[in-house]
Amino acid sequence: MIDITERREAEKAWQGSEARFRALSGLSSDWYWEQDEALRFTAMSGGVFESLGVRPEEFIGKSRWELPIVGVSEAVLEAHRAALEARKPFQDFEFGRRDAAGRMYYVSTSGQPVFDEDGGFKGYRGVGKDITGRKTAETALRQAHDQLALKAQELARSNDELQQFAYVASHDLQEPLRMISSYTQLLMRRYGSKLDQDAKEFTDFIVDGAARMKQLIEDLLAYSRVGTRGSEFKPADGEAVLYKALANLRAATEASGAAITHDPLPTLTADESQLVQLLQNLIGNAIKFKGSETPRIHVGAKEEDGAWVLSIKDNGIGIDPQYFERIFILFQRLHGKAEYPGTGIGLAICKKIVDRHGGRIWVESKLGHGCCFYFSLPKTQREAHS
Amino acid sequence: MTDREGVAPPVEILLVEDNPGDVRLTKEALKEGKVYSNLHWAKDGVEALEFLRRQGKHASASRPDIILLDLNLPKKDGREVLAIIKSDDQLKQIPVVVLTTSKAEEDVLRSYELHANCYVTKPVDLEQFIRVVKSIDRFWLTVVTLPPAKPQ
Repeated sequence: MIDITERREAEKAWQGSEARFRALSGLSSDWYWEQDEALRFTAMSGGVFESLGVRPEEFIGKSRWELPIVGVSEAVLEAHRAALEARKPFQDFEFGRRDAAGRMYYVSTSGQPVFDEDGGFKGYRGVGKDITGRKTAETALRQAHDQLALKAQELARSNDELQQFAYVASHDLQEPLRMISSYTQLLMRRYGSKLDQDAKEFTDFIVDGAARMKQLIEDLLAYSRVGTRGSEFKPADGEAVLYKALANLRAATEASGAAITHDPLPTLTADESQLVQLLQNLIGNAIKFKGSETPRIHVGAKEEDGAWVLSIKDNGIGIDPQYFERIFILFQRLHGKAEYPGTGIGLAICKKIVDRHGGRIWVESKLGHGCCFYFSLPKTQREAHS
Repeated sequence: MTDREGVAPPVEILLVEDNPGDVRLTKEALKEGKVYSNLHWAKDGVEALEFLRRQGKHASASRPDIILLDLNLPKKDGREVLAIIKSDDQLKQIPVVVLTTSKAEEDVLRSYELHANCYVTKPVDLEQFIRVVKSIDRFWLTVVTLPPAKPQ
């Protein structure tokens, strides 16, 4: 009596748990599987169809090895095989397969060995789940990472090349130039009295050309150094930076009688010496391109979207809006050399400095009505690689 | 130092320089100077060391009173030559003036680390170049008291 009752209750409990299990495994996108002692699938729940689009019947009677596995290293496969032969449980064995349409899918499966009462091996049972999404993301991530590493390598190499170029420019390009100008000058020194006015004029052009070439090379060098010789970003007192820039401009400021005012300036996270150069170039331009009036220059500062925006406003000759982009390009000039000297390097260097700091530089102006240069510097800084 | 004009033997200068244009220019500049000098020319680092060690065709070379050294040279470059001179007990007393086109900070620093006696950048302008050579000449060969020639 007691035996039968117990057995019935056990059976009922078992049927209940079986029903609950079936209901659950039907709900889940994961699936349940069973294998016999020859590791052939004997059961496969419907989740496998919902997840992978493969009907459960296709698995029945086949072992894991009869269905081709891809995307697993030989060593991992061997370890899994060894675990199965030792009748050990396994956890999260991940592998790829192709479905009938040739589409790759990835599966993660875990299993437990099943033994009868006498300890005889009866097979495995376990659960599988579709990890195609994760694997695809992982692959994409790995590819992106590899690409990034490659880019970083390229960047390092191009930086090295740039540095080498800078050295070549400072030495090898200057030497022939020195020969041209020195020997032309020597020629004039020794034989000047024997040459006529035309010959003197011609040699003047040679010497002047060589001098300008030298200036261009030096400017190009300075431009390339913004990227390769920059210092770390540290908090820099904006006003101290301004005063340094103004000290460097003292001769020009005094000669022009420029009146320079400023707002209270914030502490900026930047390469301080580049910031000095930036302000110096912009204020220097404001003085250089003055109009008929005495230059009045104001350095302003305001906060905007997590960045500091500094402005340098002048009452100079202004810039035609059609040139707003061009002025920041290397060696682009808007005026003849006789009107305003220079190679056209100043604003290109400004732009490169601001770019390196992850900011933006722009200008607002009307021809004849002064101009206002703005640049933004993010408050929190991480060096942007240009 | 005795009066070098007339009485004293000429000052021996070794110029280590690969560019014949620069050699000639240095000669011309020295000509304008007041110091009576013999300019010897080594076209690369290897020849400079042969000259200093009186090897091969330089067996009867005179010991220079001063060396004008370019940095970028074929075969053995100026930095190596400088390092060898300054670690050689026989040669390290000879003042070495690095005379180069390079303004690169690393070259300046490296040269002084290797015990160059001074570093001079060649100016592009002829007048300035002549002035520089003359002032090297004046400073190192008339102002400074050089070490007495070693008996060898």
